Amino acid sequence: MLVDAFLELLNLWVLVAALVGIISGIIIGAIPGLGPTMAIALLIPVTFSMQPIPAIILLLGVYQGAIFGGSISAVLLNVPGTPSSAATAIDGFAMARRGEGGRALRFALYASVVGNIFSCLVLMALAEPLARFALDFGPAEMAMLMLFALLVIVLFGGGSKLDALIMVLVGACAGVVGLDPISGTPRFTFGSFAFENGFQLIPVLIGLFAMSEVLLQAFDREALVGDVKVPPLKSSVVRFVELWRMRMTLFLSSLIGTFVGILPGIGSTVPAFMSYSLARSRSADPDTFGRGAPEGVAAPEAANNAVTGGALVPTLALGIPGDAVTAVILGAFMLHGLAPGPFLFRDHGLEVYAIFEALLLSSIPTAILGLLFFRVAIHVTRIQPRHLLPAITILAIFGAFSVNNSLFDVWVMLGAGVLGCLLRRSNFPLPPLLIGLILGAPFEQSLRQALLTSGGGYGIFVGSPITIGLVALTVLSLAISLFFNLRKPRI
Amino acid sequence: MSINGHGGGVARPGFRMLTAGLLLSAAVWGLYSLESQIQVFGFGASGPDARSFPRLALWLLAAVVALRLVLSLRSEDVPLGNRVRLGRVLAVTASSAAALWVMPQVGFFFGAAGAGIVVALTLGERRPLLLVLPLIVAAVVTLGGRHGLNIPLP
Repeated sequence: MLVDAFLELLNLWVLVAALVGIISGIIIGAIPGLGPTMAIALLIPVTFSMQPIPAIILLLGVYQGAIFGGSISAVLLNVPGTPSSAATAIDGFAMARRGEGGRALRFALYASVVGNIFSCLVLMALAEPLARFALDFGPAEMAMLMLFALLVIVLFGGGSKLDALIMVLVGACAGVVGLDPISGTPRFTFGSFAFENGFQLIPVLIGLFAMSEVLLQAFDREALVGDVKVPPLKSSVVRFVELWRMRMTLFLSSLIGTFVGILPGIGSTVPAFMSYSLARSRSADPDTFGRGAPEGVAAPEAANNAVTGGALVPTLALGIPGDAVTAVILGAFMLHGLAPGPFLFRDHGLEVYAIFEALLLSSIPTAILGLLFFRVAIHVTRIQPRHLLPAITILAIFGAFSVNNSLFDVWVMLGAGVLGCLLRRSNFPLPPLLIGLILGAPFEQSLRQALLTSGGGYGIFVGSPITIGLVALTVLSLAISLFFNLRKPRI
Repeated sequence: MSINGHGGGVARPGFRMLTAGLLLSAAVWGLYSLESQIQVFGFGASGPDARSFPRLALWLLAAVVALRLVLSLRSEDVPLGNRVRLGRVLAVTASSAAALWVMPQVGFFFGAAGAGIVVALTLGERRPLLLVLPLIVAAVVTLGGRHGLNIPLP
């Protein structure tokens, strides 16, 4: 399988897709305010006419490139291109101020590569066994698994649990619109055929992440005006021995990133800061952290890149997205006929392993292109989002239309954009909404199928070792969350 | 900047309260119109029907949003901002909506380019060269979409 999958990669279009994706990602990620989620959502329509393997590789290349690109603006401007780069900015910008911006970016790049390789290996080792195990899941097991995933997002996603719960419920309620999954009855369709398919994922994603950004920037226009001053870059090198000295930091950060990434809804910001704190506490000279310590750059970068592979484990094996970006990637998989879930490896094993190998091997072009492009990307950081937002508006309209060749989807995108702007302005988190929207309908379907099977008896949800295990995990998660809440000092 | 309600009084309404209020209204409306929006044909099957999950989700949503509203009364809120800022958001939304409205008549190129130009103007762009940029992007997207991706754009 691995050899056959590798042979699938020996194709010019795959190489072109990977290179275009990585370069676009680095450029987009370097522009402050534009993140990988928006970039991938906008680029999905471009991949419609492509084969599934190059299409997904293009999008994953954008993601990898954008994560590194985000560290460019974090290090040089102290403006994290992505939220997860905020931890990188602490020491990266301090290094840049003393003229070591180039060195900081090299550390970031090499740590990114280590994190990516580690998490890809874990992904390849865990995803298929997990999917094979999930083949035994019936509706009751799937319902309990999804309930557990939704609960984890609410309890451990960071920020206010109440806000996360509200967002999950908003997503679940939005998922109700359309035909009932069991009886086919129209629900909240207002008598319109257009509503019967429900809200399509891609237009909603484009609205929530791209159009809402345009509206938010229109609101905060004053913040966009102003000259960008980039500290001077001295020519520099990072020796292998310097990386070898921080091997434990890189390993532990990659481990944190990968395994926190597996938990749904937590994203890459939490592991980036966790790794930074761990690196600082393990350091022989913790006082250098915050003043330009190379380990302070390497630790969060290794962690936030390792999240990719980790988050793809539940996304591909169970159909449960790990964060907002993997939710978008899940949408792309579905559009290309590769429905994530337990059957993915059975039905499309070759394609999936080809994508895994490409993700692993793309570390090489990412490193090369990162070194070649970071001086170019410095100029990109000077591009103001206001120069790009009109183009993003046009691409958002095009992207939403092209999913079903329907203007109704463009209206959905615009509505999601307005809602996203309002929610982001009000500090409500968007990833729980997205995951609620994705999991709401299948959760309801599994729940009702299980109850139909049992004749309405709720005992089915504790009727097998798997469901009992999942109920135990759910109760344990609640208990852990409660314990930490009670231990939190009250002000 | 935030609007603080810690001084003992009730906080001034801000974005969070506005959003929570809108979500609560939507949830209450959903519950009110549940019977008319979801027809259930009972055939004697036991267990939940097409209305059960939406009813549960809407009740939960209404309850947690109401709790958020109560908690928001005495906590910091995000200020609504002045009318000019809100006006800019409304202008972008209205221009995009207008572009969609007229798109079946005028075509994708003019609709999308128009929306792009309004966004550029709203964001403070006054240089003619950069105002031409949306036209170029719209032209490239229209040509690429129609001929490259075979998408039947309006």
